[in-house]
Amino acid sequence: MDNFASLMHGFSVALTFHHVALMMGGVLLGILVGVLPGLGAPNGVSLLLPLTFSMDPVSAIILLTSLYWGALFGGSTTSIIFNIPGEPSSVATTFDGHPMAKQGRATEALSLAFLSAGFGALAGVLLITALSGWVAKFALRFSSPEFFAVYFITFASFIGLGGSSAFKSIVAMGVGFTLASIGMDSVSGNIRLTYEFDVLLGGVSFLIAVIGLFGIGELLLTMEDGLRFDGVAAKVRLGDVLRTAATLPRYWVALLRSSAIGIWMGITPGGPTAASFMSYAMAKRSSRNPEKFGKGEPEGVISPETADHAAGSAAMLPMLALGIPGSATAAVMMGGLMIWGLNPGPMLFTERPDFVWGLIASMYLGNVVAVVVVLATVPLFASILRIPFSIIGPLIVVICFIGAYTVAGKPFDIWLALAFGVVGYAFKKLDYPIAPMILAMVIGDKAEDAFRQSMIFSQGSLSIFWSNSLVTSLMALGLLLLLLHPLQLAWRGARRLTAAHATRG
Amino acid sequence: MVTRLWAETAVALFTLAYGLVIVRGATEFGIGWDASGPEPGAFPFYTGLLVAAASLGTLVVTWSKRLRADRAISAVILDGEGLRRVVSFFLPILGFVLLCAALGMYVATIAYLFFAMRVQGGFGWLASLATSFGAALTFYIVIERIFLIQLMKGPIEALFGL
Amino acid sequence: MAMFRTAALAAAIALVPGAAALAWEPTKPVEFVVTSGPGGGTDTFARVVQSIATKNKLINQPIIVVNKGGGSGAEGFVHGKAGKGDPHRVVFGTNNAYLLPYVAKLAFKPADFTPVASLALDEFLIWVNGSAPFDDAKAYLDAVKAKPSGFKMAGSQSKDTDQTLTAMIEQATGAKWIYVPFQGGGVAATQLAGGHVDSNTNNPNENIGQWKAGQVKPLCVFSPVRLAKSEAIFNGKGWGDIPTCKEAGLPLEAFQMPRTVWLPAEVPADSVKFYEDVLEKVSQTDEWKEFIARTAQTPRFMKGKEFTDFVARDEAANRKVFETEGWVVK
Repeated sequence: MDNFASLMHGFSVALTFHHVALMMGGVLLGILVGVLPGLGAPNGVSLLLPLTFSMDPVSAIILLTSLYWGALFGGSTTSIIFNIPGEPSSVATTFDGHPMAKQGRATEALSLAFLSAGFGALAGVLLITALSGWVAKFALRFSSPEFFAVYFITFASFIGLGGSSAFKSIVAMGVGFTLASIGMDSVSGNIRLTYEFDVLLGGVSFLIAVIGLFGIGELLLTMEDGLRFDGVAAKVRLGDVLRTAATLPRYWVALLRSSAIGIWMGITPGGPTAASFMSYAMAKRSSRNPEKFGKGEPEGVISPETADHAAGSAAMLPMLALGIPGSATAAVMMGGLMIWGLNPGPMLFTERPDFVWGLIASMYLGNVVAVVVVLATVPLFASILRIPFSIIGPLIVVICFIGAYTVAGKPFDIWLALAFGVVGYAFKKLDYPIAPMILAMVIGDKAEDAFRQSMIFSQGSLSIFWSNSLVTSLMALGLLLLLLHPLQLAWRGARRLTAAHATRG
Repeated sequence: MVTRLWAETAVALFTLAYGLVIVRGATEFGIGWDASGPEPGAFPFYTGLLVAAASLGTLVVTWSKRLRADRAISAVILDGEGLRRVVSFFLPILGFVLLCAALGMYVATIAYLFFAMRVQGGFGWLASLATSFGAALTFYIVIERIFLIQLMKGPIEALFGL
Repeated sequence: MAMFRTAALAAAIALVPGAAALAWEPTKPVEFVVTSGPGGGTDTFARVVQSIATKNKLINQPIIVVNKGGGSGAEGFVHGKAGKGDPHRVVFGTNNAYLLPYVAKLAFKPADFTPVASLALDEFLIWVNGSAPFDDAKAYLDAVKAKPSGFKMAGSQSKDTDQTLTAMIEQATGAKWIYVPFQGGGVAATQLAGGHVDSNTNNPNENIGQWKAGQVKPLCVFSPVRLAKSEAIFNGKGWGDIPTCKEAGLPLEAFQMPRTVWLPAEVPADSVKFYEDVLEKVSQTDEWKEFIARTAQTPRFMKGKEFTDFVARDEAANRKVFETEGWVVK
C-alpha cells in the first residue's frame, strides 16, 4: 500500500487551483492541436516546451501531459467527423467512427470514443500506480528480438482480416513497407531509396500519407457519389451524450480486452498507434458479427480508442522509469525532463516522489478533465456536419493541405498529399485495403530495424527468436495468430463438407 | 465512363512500376545476407519484388475474368456524371496546390474557397468573401500566432510585410 | 506604404557590406534549424539557447525553432544550405555538420556553411553493466581482447559518433566488438542496464538515470582532463571521480562532440559577429551554466579561428577512422 500513500500525496500536489487551471488550458490547447491534421501532439508539446523552462517541473509536466491528452481526444474527433485522423493513433477510429457519423450517429460515435478513451487512460494509469516497480523490471527484459516479436504479433493479428483479394493486400502492405524504408537506415547508416532527391531525405511522413489517403481520398469519393453528409437531420442534444454513456457498460468485454492490449503495447513499447490497430483487429476477430465492422459498429470505435489511450498513458512508465520514450510525444517530454534537471531512470521514483506521483495523480485528474471538456464539445463538433458540403468540403481541403505543410514545413509535402489523395481514391474504389498499408508504414521500419539488430546480436542466426522463454512465447503467439485465419477457414470448409455429406447421406 | 477492367489495369500497372522502381533503388546497396544479417537493400528489394509480382497477379486475374466474359469486370464503376463531379472537385484542388506553390498559402486559400463557394456552390458574394477571408485570418492566428509555425508565403504577403 | 519603404531601406542598408557603421540586426523572425528530431540532444541545445536568448532579449525578433532531423540531420543542413546569403537561418548541430558528408552521399558540404561558434563539448564514457566483473577500463579491454567479437557494444545509429569512437578504440588497442546500432542513446542505456549488451559509449546525461540506480557503471571518460566535480551519484562517486581513459591506460587522447552553430554561406560578416556575440552572452548566463552542469557537458565557448581550428583537427581525426573502416562514400 506504499504506492497508495504516495498517490494520495500526489493528489495533494496536483489538486491545486493552479494545476487544475493548467490542465484545463493544456487540454483545450491539445484539442486544437489534435483537431488540425499534421500538427500533432509532438509538435504541440515541443512548441510549449520553452514556456515551461521557467516553471517548476510538476506544473510543467502537468501542462504538457494535459496537452497530450487533449490532442489524443481532438484527433479522434476529426477521425469520426471528417475521416481525417488528426493524430496517427486515431487512424483505426475512422474505420467505424466515420461510417457512424455518415449515418447520422455522430453524437453517439463521439461520445463512445471519448468515454472509452477515458476508460482506457484510467486503466493505464491504474497499472502505473499499482505495478510500476514490477513493470519497469519486466520492460528491461526486452531487447531487439522481443521488440521484433511484438511487431510480428501486431502484423499477424491483422493478416487475413479484410475481405479483399490476397494480391491487393500484398500490394498495399508492400507499398507501406517500402515507403517506410525511404530515408536514413539507422542500422547501416546508409540513405536509402531517395533517388538523390533531397526532399526524400527525411523519408515519407506517415502523417502526409494519412492526410492524403483518408482526408482527400474520402472527399473525392464523397463527391463522386454526390453525397452530402447525412448528419444534417441529426439533432444534437446533451441528453444524447448521456444516453450513449448509459450503453457503455454493455461493451465491458471490449473495454477490458482493449485496455489490456493498450497497456501491453504501451510498456513493451509498440506504441499507441500499433495498439489501436491491434485492438481493432482483435475486436473484429472475436466478434460474432465481424461483417458489421467497417460499416458503423460501435465496438469498432470503442476498441481502438480504449487501446490508444491506455497505451498513451502506460507509455509514461517506461519514459519515467527507464528513460525510453514509448511514443514520439514522450520523446519530446523526455527532452523537457532533462532541461528541468530531472533524470529519467529507476531512481526518479525515490528521488523525486513529488514529481512522479504528482504527475501520476495529474494523469487521473487530467483525463477526467479532458473527458468532461471534450464531451461538452460534442454538440459543437457534431453540428459542423450541418454546414452545407459545398462550404465544409473545400474547407477540409484547405485544412488538409495546411496540415500537411505543418508536419515538416516542406512544400513538397503538399504535392505528396495530393498524390496520396489520388492513390487513396483509386485504392478505395478498387477495394485495396488501406489499413494494412498504414500499419506497415507505422511499424514497418521499426520491425526491420529490430530484425536486423537481432541478426547482429546473433551474427546472422535466426535461432535468436527462440533463445529464451520470453521471446519464444511471443513468437509462438504471433505464429498462432497468423495461422488462426487459415485454420479457421479450413475448419469451416471441413464442416461444410461433412454437413454436405450428412444431408446427402 | 470508366469500367472496372481499365481501372484495375491502370492501378495494377502503376503499382507494378512502383515496385520495379523500388527494386532498382534497393540494388544500390547489398541485397544479400551477410554475417550480420540482411544487408541494407534486402528488405526493400524483396518487398518491391513482391509488390511487382502481386501487381502482375492482379493483372492476370483481371484479364482472365475478361476472357471468361465475367460481367462484373466490364461493369462501369465510374459513370459520366460521377466522373464529372470528381473532376470538377479535383481540378480546383490542383489549382489550389499550384497557387500555394506560386503565391503562398493565404492567397491560395482565399482564392480557392471563394471560387468553390461563389462559382461552384452558388453562394452570394458577401458570404463567399467573408468565409474565405475569415478562414485565412483564422489560419494566420492559430498557426502563425499561437503555434509559431510559418506557412508558405508569396510576393503578396511580402507587400504587407508579413 | 511608407512603413514598407523604410523596412526595405533598412534591409538594403543591412545588406550593403560597406554600411557597417550600423551593426547588423535581424529584420525578420529568426529561424533556428535543428538537425535532430524533437527531444534529441541538438533539439534540447537549440531550445535552451532559444529560451535564454528570448528571456534576456538578446535577439529583437521572434525565434522560430524548426526540426529537420531526417537523414541523421542531413535534411536540416540541406535546408540551411538553401538559405544561402540569408542570415536569418541559423543551423544547430554537432560534428555532423562536417562529418556527415563523408559517410553519406549528400547534397551539401561543409563549405556551404559559415562557422559561427561552438558552445560546449559533450563527453563520451565507457559504461558497463552495474554487475559486470570489471572495475576499470583496462580489465574490461583485456577481456575484450582475449575474446574478439565476443562482447557487444551498443550505440546510437551507424557511422555516427558512438561507432566512430568504438572504431577508434579498436584501432588503438586491437580489441574487437560486435557493434549494435540502436535508435538512440536512451535505448542503448536500457539495453545495457538490461544486460543485453556488454557496454556502451553514451554521453553522461544518457546514462545518468541508470547509473543512479547502480544498473550501469562508468569506467573512464574520453576527455583530456577529468570531468568537473559533482555531488555523489552512486556509491559516493560523482562525475569528477571517473578517471580519464588516458589515465586508465587507453592510448586515446580525447573524443568529444562539439555543440555547434552555423550560418549559410555568403552571409554578411557583421551578421556572423552578431550571432557570435549573442551566443557568447548566452554561454555566460547562469541558466546556461546550470544546463551544462546538469548534463555533465564541458563548457567551452569557441568562435572564429579557435573554432575553425578545432573543426579542422576534429575532421582530420575522424576522417582517418572513416578511411580505415572504409565508410567514406565517393
